[in-house]
Amino acid sequence: MSNLDKYRTIFIESFEYSGIIEDLEYQAIAEWDSVGHMQLMAALEDSFSIELDVDDIIDFASFKKGIDILAKYNIVI
Amino acid sequence: MTSTLNFNINGIKECQRNRHPLLFVDRIFDVIPGKKASGLKCFSYNEWFFPAHFDDEPNVPGFIQVESLVQTFIMSFLSMDDLRGQKTNFIGINNAKFKRKIIPGEILTIHSILQSFRRGIATGSALSFVGDEPACSADFVVAVPFLLDQFKPKSTS
Repeated sequence: MSNLDKYRTIFIESFEYSGIIEDLEYQAIAEWDSVGHMQLMAALEDSFSIELDVDDIIDFASFKKGIDILAKYNIVI
Repeated sequence: MTSTLNFNINGIKECQRNRHPLLFVDRIFDVIPGKKASGLKCFSYNEWFFPAHFDDEPNVPGFIQVESLVQTFIMSFLSMDDLRGQKTNFIGINNAKFKRKIIPGEILTIHSILQSFRRGIATGSALSFVGDEPACSADFVVAVPFLLDQFKPKSTS
């Protein structure tokens, strides 16, 4: 599975979302609230074996923004 | 050897925000903050729910058993100095099992384990006994909103 597939799957499974995942932003759907955000961050950390900095967790406000943030951890989506 | 903490009812009220008539643990013992907590709940017929559940057969409603479990569980992390007095919210309850009716005069002994506490989300489990007999058990996911708010995105730009 490619990193992109893994990344998409984490969003889909975390939020049980069937829409256009690439357009998702924080609070755009009810499932991506503060609790959903922490569950998403935990799933990303577990899946990619990284530990996100607090500033990156706060900046992680959309699917697209997350790709840039993961690049800082040498995860190329 | 790790020393453990104990809390009487005033100590419990300093750590968590549940209050009468929804505070369902009387004493907390054998606490290692960040790892585990045990609790006791004594059910007297003076409890407000017994006359209603049921008038001819008083026993502890399941949701109150779950509250006793989770109120013991949250002491496993609200006993940490920097979390005392914080509010908590349920995120999930799984594998709840009720093996025994609990009636007036019985004492529920609860043992809980904190499996992880990560950025305001606690996961763990609790099981309980009346004497030596298994009573209820469940797995929990509980949030501390105060901590969650520190990590949420401030904008989508």
